[in-house]
Amino acid sequence: MQYQAESSWGYQMTGSMRRGGGRGVAGMGGDSSDPLERVVRLASESAVVVFSVSSCCMCHAVKSLFCGMGVSPVVHELDQDPSGKEMEQALALLLGSYGVAPAVPVVFIGGKLIGAMDRVMASHINGTLVPLLKEAGALWL
Amino acid sequence: MASHRIGEIGLSETGPSTHHVPYSVYHGINNPTTFINQEGSAFDFGELEEAIVLQGVNIRNDEAKAPLYAGRPAATLDMFPSWPIKFQHTPRGSSKSRGESTDSGSGVNTNTLSSSIAEARREADSPVSVKGSSSLDHQKLQKPMEMAASDTSPLPSPSQSASKAPQDKRKGGSTSEKQLDAKTLRRLAQNREAARKSRLRKKAYVQQLESSRIKLTQLEQDLQRARSQGFLLGACGGANISSGATIFDMEYARWLEDDHRHMLELRTGLQAHLPDGDLRVIVDGYLSHYDEIFRLKGMAAKSDVFHLITGVWATPAERCFLWMGGFRPSELIKILITQLDPLTEQQFMGICSLQHSSQQAEEALSQGLEQLQQSLVDTIAGGPSIEGMQQMAIALGKLTNLEGFVRQADNLRQHTLHHLRRILTVRQAARCFLVIGEYYGRLRALSSLWMSRPRESMMNDDNSRQTTTDLQIVQATQNHFSNF
Repeated sequence: MQYQAESSWGYQMTGSMRRGGGRGVAGMGGDSSDPLERVVRLASESAVVVFSVSSCCMCHAVKSLFCGMGVSPVVHELDQDPSGKEMEQALALLLGSYGVAPAVPVVFIGGKLIGAMDRVMASHINGTLVPLLKEAGALWL
Repeated sequence: MASHRIGEIGLSETGPSTHHVPYSVYHGINNPTTFINQEGSAFDFGELEEAIVLQGVNIRNDEAKAPLYAGRPAATLDMFPSWPIKFQHTPRGSSKSRGESTDSGSGVNTNTLSSSIAEARREADSPVSVKGSSSLDHQKLQKPMEMAASDTSPLPSPSQSASKAPQDKRKGGSTSEKQLDAKTLRRLAQNREAARKSRLRKKAYVQQLESSRIKLTQLEQDLQRARSQGFLLGACGGANISSGATIFDMEYARWLEDDHRHMLELRTGLQAHLPDGDLRVIVDGYLSHYDEIFRLKGMAAKSDVFHLITGVWATPAERCFLWMGGFRPSELIKILITQLDPLTEQQFMGICSLQHSSQQAEEALSQGLEQLQQSLVDTIAGGPSIEGMQQMAIALGKLTNLEGFVRQADNLRQHTLHHLRRILTVRQAARCFLVIGEYYGRLRALSSLWMSRPRESMMNDDNSRQTTTDLQIVQATQNHFSNF
């Protein structure tokens, strides 16, 4: 959805600003090297996407949580990605935790941002996580 | 303590035994209130010695035979013919004590005997010893009388006649009485003085005991207050305890007091069957009380995560079962699920899924922590290829993750409690929070009971008193608990 608009925005760069006028990120030619865009794109590709850092133990906890529930998330290790650093910063800005807390882990379910570990835990306790997973097709029980 | 114990034994003892002598000793000195009431009582330490011997038998007379014995003094005093008129009619101590004694039988008993002994002491040595022995005989004659209840009737007459016999004998020697008068008068006066002095000494001693007892309780209170304010922690912790930890300990102590108050409110609210609206206020108040501790822990985790995660702030029993610096939410649900019986199907499903999800979350966090430990081990147990300071720097970076884990664990606890509140009705939630609060209260009491268990026999009375208090707390909460 957003992905589509973004690419058309890229093509319409010199034309009228009708589409995607509200985007704060200045188009760098609409290429996918924009970290946030990349994040969003990756997040939409699978039902459950986790952005992680391989050495982070909280990320390990999130992965354990999903595996324990029988969900196999797609994990992007940002320390193994060339634009990982920028993506991490983008995620931190997205969460509003820039400079306050580590940006990872961040979980997307069905393309929608769930949040960091605390939000994932909270939604699991509240019983909202499982329906979300089922809706996204990650869980079939 | 000892006196109470012996007092109880003395009261319950009805059969004959040779142990009455020591009982009487304690029984005699111990009713400090009795003695203080009987200001001018004739019983004091000086006279105790003879009372010990002679009073042994009279304990038996205490309860049932008091009225019977009330008539006795006259008979007893008949045996001291030197003071025939004065002391037969005015056994000063005894009459006074009958009015004042709170402990009817023994008081009368004590003082009649003591007055008779007082008189005995005021006589010359030989008459005293003779009379002592004759009074002993008299007591011995009385003894079989009390023991065989059926034989009561025939015996008194022979004993009375026996006592009257020596009495008559003594009354015959009137001239010898007058010769002894001067000496005995002086002796009388001396004995009076001595008795008065020992009475005063005893009074002073008792007052000193009372005042030091008061001082002791005040000191204990001060100590308690100071400890709760972290004074001692600061003193003995020294460099090891950061201010963040000390502050947390102080605030936790305050939180515990608040918790107690909330529990009281919950309990009375449930017992009084308050309307749901009022109960809701109390329940939500308790929930925000828990929010408060999580907030405090969050702040403390920033400054001293090890203090939280190792549970220094908790009692030993709590500390033993601590999980990531606090309780395990799934454990809590397990406790509750048995106590919250009238649940609807939907509620039951909700609680079961809450337990399931909290278990999964706990497992995930535990695995994350394990991974942290593993990576720490890899860093600092690394081979010599990594330079020491670099190792430490990396390890320090890894340790900062601990705060995150404690925070996530507290987060889990907080959400569990809130979700519980949502699933349950107001009344059920009130019961549920009461169960939780009482469980932790008892766990804390268990810790202090354990600390002061009898194994440590060198411990002073403070611990046993505390044990009693803790037992009372446990019993009190049990009583309330059983109402639901």
